[in-house]
Amino acid sequence: MASVNNSKNLRDSDIQKKIDHEIRMRDGACKLLAACSQRDQALEAAKSLLTCNTRIMAYMSELQRMKEAQVMQRVARRSDGTRSSDAGPMDDRLPCKGKVAISDLRIPLMWKDTEYFKNKGELHRCAVFCLLQVGGEIHDTDMVMVDRTLTDICFDNTIVFSEASPGFELRVELYSCCSEEDYSAGSAPRKLASKLSSSLGRSAGKKLRVAMDPGACSPTSNAGAATLLLPGPAVAGPKYHLLAHTSLSLSHVQDSFRTHDLSISGNEECSYWVPLYGSVCCRLAAQPHCMTQQMMSGCLKVKQLGGDPPSWTNVYGVLKGTNLFCYHRQEDMEANVEPAFTIAINKETRIRASEKDPHSKAQSICISNQYGGEEVTHTLSADSREETHRWMEAFWQQFCDMSQWKQCCDDLMKIELPSPRKPALVTSKQGSLYHEIVIDTSDDISTVTDILTRRMQELELRSQLGTSPPWMSLFEESPGGPRTPRLARHSPRSPHRLPHSPLSSLRCPWPGLLSSDASLTSDSDSPCSTSPCSRHRGWAEPLSLSSPRFRPRTLSLDAKLSTLRGRGYGGVLQCSCQPPSSSSLAPIPAQCVPQATLSCSSSTSSNSSSEGSHSPSSLDGTPFSRPSSARRSLRNLRAKLDPRNWLQSQV
Amino acid sequence: MVEWEYNNYLMVVKVLNDFLSKLNSQCSCVLQQRIEIRKLRQGEHLILGFSIGGGIDQDPGQNPFSEDKSDKGIYVTRVTPEGPAEVAGLMMGDKVMQVNGWDMTMVTHDQARKRLTKKNEDVVRLLVTRKSLEQAVKHSMM
Repeated sequence: MASVNNSKNLRDSDIQKKIDHEIRMRDGACKLLAACSQRDQALEAAKSLLTCNTRIMAYMSELQRMKEAQVMQRVARRSDGTRSSDAGPMDDRLPCKGKVAISDLRIPLMWKDTEYFKNKGELHRCAVFCLLQVGGEIHDTDMVMVDRTLTDICFDNTIVFSEASPGFELRVELYSCCSEEDYSAGSAPRKLASKLSSSLGRSAGKKLRVAMDPGACSPTSNAGAATLLLPGPAVAGPKYHLLAHTSLSLSHVQDSFRTHDLSISGNEECSYWVPLYGSVCCRLAAQPHCMTQQMMSGCLKVKQLGGDPPSWTNVYGVLKGTNLFCYHRQEDMEANVEPAFTIAINKETRIRASEKDPHSKAQSICISNQYGGEEVTHTLSADSREETHRWMEAFWQQFCDMSQWKQCCDDLMKIELPSPRKPALVTSKQGSLYHEIVIDTSDDISTVTDILTRRMQELELRSQLGTSPPWMSLFEESPGGPRTPRLARHSPRSPHRLPHSPLSSLRCPWPGLLSSDASLTSDSDSPCSTSPCSRHRGWAEPLSLSSPRFRPRTLSLDAKLSTLRGRGYGGVLQCSCQPPSSSSLAPIPAQCVPQATLSCSSSTSSNSSSEGSHSPSSLDGTPFSRPSSARRSLRNLRAKLDPRNWLQSQV
Repeated sequence: MVEWEYNNYLMVVKVLNDFLSKLNSQCSCVLQQRIEIRKLRQGEHLILGFSIGGGIDQDPGQNPFSEDKSDKGIYVTRVTPEGPAEVAGLMMGDKVMQVNGWDMTMVTHDQARKRLTKKNEDVVRLLVTRKSLEQAVKHSMM
């Protein structure tokens, strides 16, 4: 019992030390906040403050839980009169812990069209960062400044939690703070605030230490100390607010990038609002210790198959990951020589202890695996009964770990710790396409179209352009043609048809092509699918930038381009009065008699049998285009419902 | 040729008028309707029997069913004949506003699909809006 108490005391003092450390950090942050004049410094200091506060709260609650557990145990003991089995082995097995790493966090944004035309004064900027928490471990990412030139918020940090259980819950919280407010509240109040903050910090710390004295406390006194600490110092300065959060667990762990939903708190009215798309992309990997560490090792005897009497080979076995490596000698393992042979120990393996072999004194262990339809059994024997028992224990533990860690035990996932040295090429702004394309303020819309043509030509020269991009038809004189001359070809699938130059880095997207494609859409704020996050490494990256990044400040691109369109297609629209060869819903120019539309639909209904199925439904559900859509190009109903153009899912 | 067209036009107008009068008599300028669909098990899948299009991550200009071409809502693009959705009264062109209480007007395409295909739900209750035919014809006449 004394030993248990000692270990508990050790944990207590451990946490106490951590709390002390955080309090000191917090004091420092407060002082810095009070003293700094630069906005950036203030934001960083406020971030540290928030992180420290969160950590303190986490440690406090852990301490409280431990105290409560202690009290419960004491109460149980007193009522029972017997000693609780606090030192005995657990009946149920506990799975091993593991490393959990989250990296390459990316949160797409969804700016409204109106943002681009807000040219009054400076950009509205927000400072954001993420807090990641597993159990009592809290880490924060670097701070990123977000303004409307950014398409995604990217955090380059890789954060590793070293001791996570398989049932871990990784809480990701996104905090943001508007960076436009003026927080210089004058020197006098600041001095007062700093005095208050530092004194409160110290006194609270002392009280905390007294309260945390092991053996003297009860949960209530803890609570008292907690309330002293929690409100914290009142500091003038930037305040971060929780913008979004999500929780990830073992089911989200995968060896590649995945998209997860975010729960967003706050709305457009808040000063700290950043228009989030609603998802977060990241790579969540886990390395259970059973996959990376040696779980068991020792000398074994392996029965040779065949032969009578059976002969046994001496090996040195090492259980690691999903394999039992058998080396000739222990020295071989240390010298990193290849093992003599390897026996797989995975989800499909069956292990049992067989009856006593009359020749040997100990039980032997049979390991059966299925290798391509055939069952192969290895028989092992240890030196003594105790050894056999230990090996069986190790195998059971391995099975327990594998069942708890599930997909993490299939293959070892790589966790890369980032090198401390930052790469040399780091752009000051987060390299969005917006900054790559230079448009002079005095330029007219024609410059934009010139740039588009130039880009297209560059691309043609650089790579063989098989099919022309959809917006090329804008420059072609002939309307119609094999492809529906629809400009706003915005689907996530369209890049399939367009060649691409290999991306040099994640932030260096496809040169201009897709952005120009996107800029020609008449509707402005569709950010396009961000499911490309799952295709992170590929060329799908540019899709996330498809929100028009490319707007000249002077004139609405839409308006101009639609007149251009009108010029090109006016002729075609006039012809729509004739019964079309293929059934299409022609948009009605104002001067055309309604006859045109109805004749189209009537021709649909009287057309060939292939259209037969469409006709009744087309009368019910298909809308007739409004006159304002007269500007739009001709569309084939089937092309509209063509899944390549506009994503449709069957449910 | 003009005569043929005109005759067809008359015929269609007549059909439409009949339909409209029926509609009017039933007073069914349906604005919102609640539809309950019971999922059908097909092998290891639970299907509803319709397809959806739209979403805040999709291009709303390509939605053939929406009146307002900036509407990024979720629309029913196809209804499998005699499937659970058709039986329940869902129609092509309906805009899905809610699914089992979850909002569907501001979701991505994938989120919408997920909300409809939850494995632990047998029944989905949709709130849909449907443009009445009258409105549709009115617009076309303008």
